Amino acid sequence: MEANNINRRKFMKLAGMSGAMLAIGFETFAIEGPKVLKKLMAEDFVEGTPLNPFVVIAEDGTISIMATVPELGQGIFQAIPAIIAEELEVDMDQVTVVKSSASRKYGRQSIGGSRSVRTMYQPMRKLGAATKEVLIEAASKKWGVAKSALYAKSGKVHRTDTKDFVEYKDLVATAAAIEVPKNPNLKTKKDFSIIGKETVRTDILSKVNGTADYGIDARPDGLLYATIERCPTLQGKPISYDKEAALSVQGVTDVMEVTRSVYKNKNTGIAVIAETHYAALEGRKKLNVKWDNAEFSKLNSESYFREMKELAKKDHLNHKDQGNFNQSFANAASTLDVVYEQPHQSHSCMEPMNATVHVKEDNTVEVWAPSQSPQVQRQFARQLGIPDDQAEEKIKVHLPFLGGGFGRRSMNDPLEECFQISKELRKPIKLIWTREDDTTQGPFRQATVHAMKAAFDDQDNPTGVQHKMISEAITTQFRPSNGKIPFEVMEGISTHYDFDNYSIQYGEYNSQLPIHWWRSVFGSTNGFAHEAFIDEVAVKAKQDPLQFRIDRLNSEPRQVKVLERLKKEANWDKKLGANEGKGVAIVESFGSIVAHAVFLKREGNQVIISRVVSVVDCGIVINPNQAKAQTEGNIIYGLTAAMKGAITFKDGVAEQSNFHDYAILRINEAPRDIQVYLMENDENPGGMGEPGLPPIAPALVNAVADLTGKRIRKLPFDLQKV
Amino acid sequence: MANFKLDINNQSYEVEAEPQTPLLWVIRDEVGLTGTKYGCGIAQCGACTIHLNGSPVRSCSIPVSAASNQKLTTIEGLSEDNSHPVQKAWIDAQVPQCGYCQSGQIMSAAALLDKNPKPTDSDIDTAMAGNICRCGTYHRIRKAIHTASNEMTNGSK
Ligand code: FES
Ligand code: FES
Repeated sequence: MEANNINRRKFMKLAGMSGAMLAIGFETFAIEGPKVLKKLMAEDFVEGTPLNPFVVIAEDGTISIMATVPELGQGIFQAIPAIIAEELEVDMDQVTVVKSSASRKYGRQSIGGSRSVRTMYQPMRKLGAATKEVLIEAASKKWGVAKSALYAKSGKVHRTDTKDFVEYKDLVATAAAIEVPKNPNLKTKKDFSIIGKETVRTDILSKVNGTADYGIDARPDGLLYATIERCPTLQGKPISYDKEAALSVQGVTDVMEVTRSVYKNKNTGIAVIAETHYAALEGRKKLNVKWDNAEFSKLNSESYFREMKELAKKDHLNHKDQGNFNQSFANAASTLDVVYEQPHQSHSCMEPMNATVHVKEDNTVEVWAPSQSPQVQRQFARQLGIPDDQAEEKIKVHLPFLGGGFGRRSMNDPLEECFQISKELRKPIKLIWTREDDTTQGPFRQATVHAMKAAFDDQDNPTGVQHKMISEAITTQFRPSNGKIPFEVMEGISTHYDFDNYSIQYGEYNSQLPIHWWRSVFGSTNGFAHEAFIDEVAVKAKQDPLQFRIDRLNSEPRQVKVLERLKKEANWDKKLGANEGKGVAIVESFGSIVAHAVFLKREGNQVIISRVVSVVDCGIVINPNQAKAQTEGNIIYGLTAAMKGAITFKDGVAEQSNFHDYAILRINEAPRDIQVYLMENDENPGGMGEPGLPPIAPALVNAVADLTGKRIRKLPFDLQKV
Repeated sequence: MANFKLDINNQSYEVEAEPQTPLLWVIRDEVGLTGTKYGCGIAQCGACTIHLNGSPVRSCSIPVSAASNQKLTTIEGLSEDNSHPVQKAWIDAQVPQCGYCQSGQIMSAAALLDKNPKPTDSDIDTAMAGNICRCGTYHRIRKAIHTASNEMTNGSK
């Protein structure tokens, strides 16, 4: 405990010295009474008058804005408070950003689909603006002057006729009693002073000195550690295990069965609970579990792909059916007819899956939820017999920073497991998945097969294109598709090139292999096959691949503008040396358009990615520096999937287990030069957490084709072997 | 179980642990310094990087028994007030995204600059290749190391 206390004091001091914004985490705010250590929620320390659940103004002038959306690296901890502050007319250095807990009063706190800014932009602006209006009204009452003679700026309401002003803190008591307007006036973009500016992220300080609080860092008093042995084939039942042997390890206190839900499947694992994480792991090694896994052990990646390729030979549901592709193909002077494939992937968040839960003797609960979907109160309440309307009062949920999410943390299986253990033992339990658990247990990104065809006339002009995508779907794991194409599977096939005959189809492949949202989801796989194949078509048509796209995207003016900008910024038309190659791709997904140009260079016997240039159209940008950071991150995440790891299955078991055989791109392999340019326009904000990913793999393989003439149609591939 | 004396960030700690316990878990769970992270447990990711007598090591792969009476530094001990040139450069370049790998990245970078205040890009590749960043902040890490290097070699800005 000693070090923790020192830390806490130090952190407070540091935060004070920064003089600006303070990121509050749960470790920061333990209160010590005589021999009691009580953890309170950060909100418990916010002083002042709440004008709404998000904004609290204290008498001493402190303005607290709640960060209510889980922060997993996307910068939302800063972005939502910044949007509120903009309309509230306060400067960011007047604001304390406070990490909230999970509560329905903040609305929906789930994150995914690059949705947060897109869905919260207008509501949060309105919230800020409405709050400002009640403060102005309070000032108007105070002075007896019309609201139109007042304006707000930097946390004060000013009079236009005199130089007088009054600070928000002196208005807040009156303002709190005034009814909040439903449709406040919003600022226009040209008056923005925070949105669109490169503001400093409030969580960064804590992430350079070790004080940022992740779920895995939760340390309630009396904590026990849990680890779970799970069936190596993902599904299976334990037949026997040696409980006594595990219990004989010093420090091991309990061994019990727990259930993990992965969509419809319930999987049983054996939890070992101990006084230290190390003892739990040692106990786990002694379990010697025998599993019944007869059915799932038949699953192999080889047959999985073979069956998908078989399916690709048939016709499937039409997503797009323009002209008559089959006819154009039958009448073609020449054709392309190729298959693309992509394997399963693991999310591999840097912070392995974990959860900390304390179900207390008095049936109240404290949860540390490293989750993209942290509002678990009702779910847990029902299992404890707590009525819904008492769920939030009895069950406190902390929102730690997330060490990555990438979609994985939208499934709460670790919390579910941890809750079961704590409910049984009534002690605080921290469950940590090992990296091996994290890599092998899924759920995974889908694997896909894409049958791509194109028809050409005798001048090599394309007359028809077909893209048939075969894969499992995510949503059909929990609800039937009823003969419709599940909404998620067509993401990223968004470049509507003008081909007279154009067919896009989806064929669902059924398997028990659990798949889940993975950064850009189907955008990652569709974008690759679609944009790599378009390149094949352009090259066969003897056209410059970038110009070909510009010429054929007449129905997509925003995409054309992005490509034109890329052409300029990347200096695309400049002739390359003999040992150089370039590739381009463009994908619209999650409300934003991103185009990448990748440049390759052969240096000795090495091929390096010498430069990546990106142009992004995500509409109005909240923090340009963060939009760029997300794009850089997407480039690396996408390059990893393109060139490094794959999860493959043999006899039902994932063949990779940790970073030695499931490799992640490292700094020495990453492009040294990444340039990201943002389009300026007034379109509504698009997502930024994912759209940079889909176009990177195709731009890369298109560059490989330009450099070597060789088409890569199966990922991952080894750049050093092209 | 045995007792070990650990010297971490110029403070001494007495801990009781199994001798084979990875130093990482002792630092995090017994001492309570949670800035050092677990990422893989097999010396592949660098999230657990600390300094042992000034050199970067993977604390997940060192038993606590081997760390006794050595000088250990964790991210919390790098500076009192975020003033280490690497921390300053990290803030300046807004390097962290999720931030989970960054304690390890910063400890590796600080050790590099300590031995080699003017690293080239390929020196950076060599020294930092053991640290994975799943969020993909490599580009900014490289930039920040150069910034810190400039500050350290040209005096403070
Ligand atoms: S946790 Fe030690 S190197 Fe990964
Ligand atoms: S910042 Fe998230 S893993 Fe590096």
